[in-house]
Amino acid sequence: MKNNDVYVLSAKQVSIQQPLSEDWMEQPIFPEEPYVRSLDPDFKKYVSPIEARRMGKILKRALATSKEAIADSGLETVDAIVTGTGYGCVENTEFFLDALCKEGEQLLKPTFFMQSTHNTISSLIAIQTKNHSFNATYAHKSISFDSALHDAWLQFSLGKINSALVGGHDEMTPVFYHILKRGDVMGKDNEICGEAAVSVVLGRNAEKSLCKLSGMRVLYHPTIETLSKAVAILLKNAGKRIEDVDFILTGISGHEESDQAYLAESETLFGQMPLLKYKHLFGESFTASGLGFYVAAQCLKAGKVPAHLFVNQEATSEKQPHCILLYNRSDGKNFTLTLLEK
Amino acid sequence: MTNPILITGMGIVSAVGLGKAKSLEALLDCRSGVGKLKYLKTEHTEFPVGEVKLSDSEMRTMLGLPKNVVTTRTALMGMLALEEALKEAGLSADMLPEVGFVSGTTVGGMDMSELYYLDYIDGKGHMEYIAVHDCGSCSEMIADHFGKFAFISTLSTACSSAANAIILGANMIRCGEAEIVVVGGSECITKFHLNGFNSLMILDTEPCRPFDATRRGLNLGEGAAYLILESAESARRRGVKAQAVLSGYGNACDAFHQTASSPDGEGAYRAMKEALELAQLQPDDVDYINAHGTGTSNNDVSESQAMKRLFGDQVPPVSSTKPFTGHTTSASGSIEAVFCILALQHGFLPINLNWSQPMEDGIIPVSKPTKKELRHVLCNAFGFGGNDSSILLSKSDLP
Amino acid sequence: MNFKSLNHTTMEELIYRLKQEIIEALNLEDMKPEDIDENAPLFGEGLGLDSIDALELIVLMEKNYGIKLQDPSKGKEIFKSVTVMAEYIQKNRTK
Repeated sequence: MKNNDVYVLSAKQVSIQQPLSEDWMEQPIFPEEPYVRSLDPDFKKYVSPIEARRMGKILKRALATSKEAIADSGLETVDAIVTGTGYGCVENTEFFLDALCKEGEQLLKPTFFMQSTHNTISSLIAIQTKNHSFNATYAHKSISFDSALHDAWLQFSLGKINSALVGGHDEMTPVFYHILKRGDVMGKDNEICGEAAVSVVLGRNAEKSLCKLSGMRVLYHPTIETLSKAVAILLKNAGKRIEDVDFILTGISGHEESDQAYLAESETLFGQMPLLKYKHLFGESFTASGLGFYVAAQCLKAGKVPAHLFVNQEATSEKQPHCILLYNRSDGKNFTLTLLEK
Repeated sequence: MTNPILITGMGIVSAVGLGKAKSLEALLDCRSGVGKLKYLKTEHTEFPVGEVKLSDSEMRTMLGLPKNVVTTRTALMGMLALEEALKEAGLSADMLPEVGFVSGTTVGGMDMSELYYLDYIDGKGHMEYIAVHDCGSCSEMIADHFGKFAFISTLSTACSSAANAIILGANMIRCGEAEIVVVGGSECITKFHLNGFNSLMILDTEPCRPFDATRRGLNLGEGAAYLILESAESARRRGVKAQAVLSGYGNACDAFHQTASSPDGEGAYRAMKEALELAQLQPDDVDYINAHGTGTSNNDVSESQAMKRLFGDQVPPVSSTKPFTGHTTSASGSIEAVFCILALQHGFLPINLNWSQPMEDGIIPVSKPTKKELRHVLCNAFGFGGNDSSILLSKSDLP
Repeated sequence: MNFKSLNHTTMEELIYRLKQEIIEALNLEDMKPEDIDENAPLFGEGLGLDSIDALELIVLMEKNYGIKLQDPSKGKEIFKSVTVMAEYIQKNRTK
């Protein structure tokens, strides 16, 4: 395998926290409701009114975060646009489905259908940025963002690309939330149901980068032994030992069963390593792990981990982060390990 | 590619039947599976469709799934296709923890969601189907039926989903992350996208006629197909036969419009060119192209231009097999890849049914049954939004 | 009964109503009927609508005026401008 240095050049978000900013580090918003929608920026800067009229929030947020991330990266264009979305364009799907079920199969509006497919996000970014390169969309539950990242990682490893825009996008309308809560898919225990819009630009240039992406592994239904092996391989390939990792960023969310599993498995895999969480600020969604990635990258850039991210509030520390391991096992079946370092 | 990726198993279900043998028969007999709507409960019976000729209940019985097991039509078709593929490649349940699974779908569990949506809102019942509405759950249901795979992911790029699943699987093998990856896709017809395509006015009330001057749109189809991608080293070790070789692939974005392809077929051109470059082949090495060829006014113009740009005056024999199966959307990339492999193995060109009049500035497809030894074939799959992918398959020289 | 002979809508009223319906159907949120020049091209320049908008206008014509347009390519002529569209509707409406 060639030298596969991959860096995070920029990362932008729209979420429960202040949009397109890192204000959450010093002035976090602590959501109190079980269902919270994102705070939106002024979209006029990114989308003309004639274009915006067709777009649900998910599309506008994707354009805003992508354009900001590309601008911030210093790159003119990217070699790949890879997007993860768990549920796709919910708003437009809902409009079409609602009309279909309530009014029947005549005189349905094409615009809603056209903008309802999962790959609308990724292709819209390409249309707006006039990008003809590789373009794909992953829709695999709580590892949708991770799947997109993994695809990009493979292509970097093969030397096929030198830059990529990787995104994680999900929206949650009130009706959809209502249905998912009823179906026991979201809103479990003290979980906060949120939305996600994250765009990350990866590239080969270490200078001005937020951090380095040093590896990742994706597993399905692993045993604890398989997980342990995966951690070892991840670290070995990155030339690291477990002692080099400063923090574990978990997907602890307020869902009791999942949180217990995170704690137990983290102890087995990582010993007494300090654990961090982010979903108490950013909420849970199928692409929340993209927000976790963003949080870790920003902490590495800033050289600090805000106290409010620590799982154990009795044991926060001012230790400067150099290496963070992201652990995502939120749906209990799909597991990912991602290594970021300064 | 320096290390060839082999295809050591295939499985398929579509309007022309369950299994490779039925598919081959239909292709050689020039017999379409497109006809009157039978299974989907919709008002729009005016559209010919390529339905899989099995009810959900029949598929459950074949798979040994009792009524109370939560599953969807897309998942059921996927399981049938995967069963055949795993069997051919000699992969038993205990081997799956070393195998990856990548599947493409766009509708996911929408066949159930559109049925029960109002019930979901009122809390009236069928709530257990909410958890399987999404695409990823569909892939997991298909995979879990056979055992615990090492890795699962789901592509959702509309009509190129299965083709992109093939690409991801190949990249995983080339990076040494896996030696065996099952790739493909599954999609059932739903009222949602039947009505969606109808609202875009791109469905034909007659059987579709790709590349024909009188074409007026596509016929929707459904089905599933999976290929077992395997490193040559692993196939050798396991002593399994290669059905074909995956020599190259390309993915590019048309970046033109959400529902229309560019007049010059830029995305399609780039995808095909990339596949050739990866395979280190020249345009004149290609013996046949299985076109995306939906039969819409727009696609056939765009794709023809792309082929002419790449192949100049020497466009190889081209056909669209969508008149056989209908447009199977997310599954089309793998269903048509299986057709390509059958063509490679049995030395024939699948014909472009229903064609009689050349379109202006279009390619002239294969319209008569033709035997031909094939070495390399291109298989195109283009999704809404300009997600264009192309797969290059080659005859296996290995015993 | 000839519906058209009972239809007392003046062209002016129809044009105004059509502008409102176009704004709603095409989600032109920030626009008012006064902002649309009924003689300006709807597609290309002018309002800058595209092929999907044309499909939406076809749906609008059927839903509100009972006119079924089977061939979407005819839309180009009919939707030249609001005035042209109104004239077509006046001639062919069944609602």
